Amino acid sequence: MGPKETDNLEPTARVAGLYVGFAGRGVLHDLTAEFYRGRLAVILGRSGSGKTTFLRALNRLNECFPGSETRGLINLKLQGEWRDIYGDIVPLTELRRRVGMVFQTPHLLPISIASNLALPVKLVLGLPRGEIPSRVEWALKEAHLWEEVQDRLDAPAHTLSGGQQQRLCLARLLALEPEILLLDEPTASLDFRSSLKVEELLLSLKDRYTIIAVSHSLSQARRLADEALILRDGSIVQRLSREDLQAPDTLQTLLDEIF
Amino acid sequence: MIKGISCLAKACSWLAVVVTLGAVMLFLGFLGAKGLNTFNLTLFFGQTPPWEAITGHLPVWHGIWPACVGTVVLVLLSSLLAIPLGLASGIYLAQYASGSWKSWFSLAVELLAGIPSIVMGLFGFALILFLRKTLAPQANTCLLLSAVCLALLVLPYLIVMTQTALEAIPGELRLVGLSLGFNPWQNLVHVLLPLAGRGILSGVILAVGRAAEDTAVILLTGVVANAGLPAGILDKYEALPFQIFYLAAEARSEGELAQGFGAALILLILTGALFLGAYYLQSTFSRTWDQKKLII
Repeated sequence: MGPKETDNLEPTARVAGLYVGFAGRGVLHDLTAEFYRGRLAVILGRSGSGKTTFLRALNRLNECFPGSETRGLINLKLQGEWRDIYGDIVPLTELRRRVGMVFQTPHLLPISIASNLALPVKLVLGLPRGEIPSRVEWALKEAHLWEEVQDRLDAPAHTLSGGQQQRLCLARLLALEPEILLLDEPTASLDFRSSLKVEELLLSLKDRYTIIAVSHSLSQARRLADEALILRDGSIVQRLSREDLQAPDTLQTLLDEIF
Repeated sequence: MIKGISCLAKACSWLAVVVTLGAVMLFLGFLGAKGLNTFNLTLFFGQTPPWEAITGHLPVWHGIWPACVGTVVLVLLSSLLAIPLGLASGIYLAQYASGSWKSWFSLAVELLAGIPSIVMGLFGFALILFLRKTLAPQANTCLLLSAVCLALLVLPYLIVMTQTALEAIPGELRLVGLSLGFNPWQNLVHVLLPLAGRGILSGVILAVGRAAEDTAVILLTGVVANAGLPAGILDKYEALPFQIFYLAAEARSEGELAQGFGAALILLILTGALFLGAYYLQSTFSRTWDQKKLII
């Protein structure tokens, strides 16, 4: 990995003074952070520290829950323009396809592999029917899945292994041409080998997308992260560069302090 | 000690299953033994030639064919009224309603579920009396009125089953469609409803079964012992449950009583067929959904 490149990179996402609460109880407090395309950010923290809520603030999914309240600033660079996603009138559907999300467990629809990609492409992008198969193929290749599934595109999606399902979820996002990828513990339900495959995929995508991943595993953060943000009680308490993460003494401190 | 309790619980569960199955078997056996030997064309058409009876050219006396047709039409008509309304209400309760609206509406549904069918029949009867005195002096009890009252009677099953099925979908799964940029309507139609399909079907089956067997409602709203094939939805009609009741209560000979058992068996078969039909529809629907090829 090269030297630290933050200086000559421009951020693609800026979060400032973010507060998120549910029914009056604050989950995130005064959270400030920047994210960059090409610099994979991993958010670490105990369960309950607000990791998932933070990701869901970025695609406004918190609003699907009753009593949610969001204050502060989230600016995202979408299609080359800075958009204040809570202030500007960005249609929610447009925002959510530009800011794609992968959940802890792969949630595929009980339809065929190809349809899992084709349905959102058709509904959200409204691509003409003729263009859909090539888009599906492109997305599956992008998610390193094409080789494994090209002979059984019409098979039900749940016949895939856990790791393949999670990569299919990623392919489903990529087919919608997102710019920011939010990954909520994407390997939590996978075995080690499948996790490595997903990580490999993420590393290959990070130069073209802004990737923000939540992880519960320090070793995964060390393999993936260009930058790690430590979240505790709804605030970022520490930022670590890749070099910091590799240093053996940081590891020990982190283990003691955070987990 | 714990092992003993567990063994006892196991034995009780087995016993419960055996008793239930035994009761069903006994019931079917009894009905079969009494009713099966009446199965012939006379049971359905009396002395009328079958083809003329089916096409309605000649009236049927002492046969249950008009009652079979009446029941099928009645069930279809009330399903047509109740299913869209029940599904829509269930969706509203599960997806859109919140706060005090939701609790008021739920209370109303529970109240409706608690209304005895004879009261629903009386409601229909009173409604016709009211209409005769006010808007429509010509109004009379009829197939449509029965269907409306039956629809009201089965509505709570549909609403509650639809609501429960939708609310049982796990939290993250409801977010997936939205997280991909579906609008709420697309999420409902393409993700939530198909996932809830099986539960909704159970509601439909319950409702259809209830509509087919109910006697009290139709008794007061338009069913008669002899009307022939239903001429229209504003006319009197015959129906199997009432036919069974009538034959059992007023039987003048062994033969007529046996005909009652035959009719009961037919009603059972008819309801079974409706269930199978609903199941078949649902499985075809979910199969097309499974292998959705329309877009690829």
